[in-house]
Amino acid sequence: MVTHEDILQIARLAKLSVPEEELDALTKDMGEIIEFANTINNASDDGEEFDNINNLSNVLRADEVVPSLKSEEILKNAGDSENDHFLVKKRVL
Amino acid sequence: MNTNEGRISKISSMLKNKEASCTEITKKYLSEIDKLNGELNAYVNVTPETALEAAAAVDKKIARGEELLPLEGIPMTLKDNISTKGIETTCCSKILKGYKPIYNATVWEALKAQGAVLLGKTNMDEFAMGSSCETSCFGGAKNPHNTNHVAGGSSGGVASAVGGNIAAYGLGSDTGGSIRQPASFCGIVGLKPTYGAVSRYGLIAYASSLDQIGPITTSVEDAAIVFDAISDYDPMDSTSQGKKQSAAESLKNPIKGMKIGIAREYLEGIKDDVKDAVLNAAKVYEELGAEIVYFDLPALKYALPVYYIIACAEASSNLGRYDGIRYGYKTPKYNDVNDMICKTRSEGFGKEVQRRILLGTYVLSAGYYDAYYKKAQNLRGSIVKSFRGAFEQCDVILAPTVPMTAFECGKAVSDPIETYLTDICTVPINIAGLPAVSVPCGFNSKGMPIGMQLIGNTFCEHTILNAAWQYEQSVGADIFKSAEMGVKL
Repeated sequence: MVTHEDILQIARLAKLSVPEEELDALTKDMGEIIEFANTINNASDDGEEFDNINNLSNVLRADEVVPSLKSEEILKNAGDSENDHFLVKKRVL
Repeated sequence: MNTNEGRISKISSMLKNKEASCTEITKKYLSEIDKLNGELNAYVNVTPETALEAAAAVDKKIARGEELLPLEGIPMTLKDNISTKGIETTCCSKILKGYKPIYNATVWEALKAQGAVLLGKTNMDEFAMGSSCETSCFGGAKNPHNTNHVAGGSSGGVASAVGGNIAAYGLGSDTGGSIRQPASFCGIVGLKPTYGAVSRYGLIAYASSLDQIGPITTSVEDAAIVFDAISDYDPMDSTSQGKKQSAAESLKNPIKGMKIGIAREYLEGIKDDVKDAVLNAAKVYEELGAEIVYFDLPALKYALPVYYIIACAEASSNLGRYDGIRYGYKTPKYNDVNDMICKTRSEGFGKEVQRRILLGTYVLSAGYYDAYYKKAQNLRGSIVKSFRGAFEQCDVILAPTVPMTAFECGKAVSDPIETYLTDICTVPINIAGLPAVSVPCGFNSKGMPIGMQLIGNTFCEHTILNAAWQYEQSVGADIFKSAEMGVKL
């Protein structure tokens, strides 16, 4: 059973704010989705840890210095920037 | 019976024989987009300057008497989650409106190098999360066979554009069926390659262990040409391996003696018209000399919840990057940094995306991780193993792509679980990292297309496309019939 408190706690972890008026509907939806996810508990697995698909191993590129993206290009997409940096509201009190 | 000719092959030969210039053909496409996009809502961003510039370069090359590459001068489209330098790429989400990537996805870099003509970016479910294209912040793309029906999702815009003949081909992405399902709904061909065959660099991530880019085309040969062009090893993607074999070269091999498997579980809960069309295709294969073998795949039973747990867990992590600081939407009013991030995300993401982030956060949180995420990962292992077993008995697995034909607009969004069920035939393939192609196999009584999947062992795109091509040659343009609209070549 998923409660309002559960939803608010997950939302806090996920950095989402849930408006008061949407809490009931979201709790109901999430309850149904989690119940659906619960069906896997009826399945027996052989307990073998799953590593990765297709037996892939990391394909690493050569450790060579290559030009990186330009900061002025990157900052064009930023909400706010100053002196070649992203700008956010002061956090340390 | 008329044979089905793909758009890529057709335009290529028109350019070679100088029947039309690349600029003329491109203008034709742009003018049809102008006429039809209001109805289809396939494109969210049309790029005429980019297209005409590329077309002019191709015409110059033709004038110099140089030979063209297979995809040179072919007007095409990209799903709006594939990064295009300097061209807005939104994932059809409010949170990325105005975002212009500063680098190209490797697949787009590869096609650009071949002289591809980009007509624009196409519609999709927000962050590729959906099966109808209706979670897009631009509204859903419509089905060219009947615009009261959805094009499918999440690559609905690509399928609508290719099926409606306002793009010769397109690239979509497939995390749980997002290439194959809309291709099936729109009566065209959609290939989801093996995990690792095509680079994911520059594809905006949904679920990284499931995502793959692949072509949506009007013929099997076209799909093979595009697959060959985009499936190279890429040092920018640490899971990239490239193809093991060219698909186009083995397309026309005879399939006498090929073993085509049907898993009984795949025929359960499927609408009669879809099931009949798939079983009719099995008969065509028997006539072509293939052998049909039936077997059981009990591990499929839990594929859908396993998929939603893994995909949402990965999404909750991948979508953590949208904080309003580095790119995209930023809330105008806030108290502190935390408040800004929370408000930005809640105002910027749509409902379905927020539901999936919440589910993903839930299954990864302390106390639930073992019961959900770890259990789902173990079951993923069982699914991988059962497919391995299946491919000891057959070369290709034949299955429906979707249990039904395209639903009416507005019918998908009301019940999340009901919508998730439409993915039941496609998600097991992503879980196991296998290649699968959806090809048309008939129409229902209302004229809506039905699709079937041919599923192959890892890196066996050449085998499934070979089987698909032989079927296409056998049934022809009566089954591979695109909608009566758009560009006539």
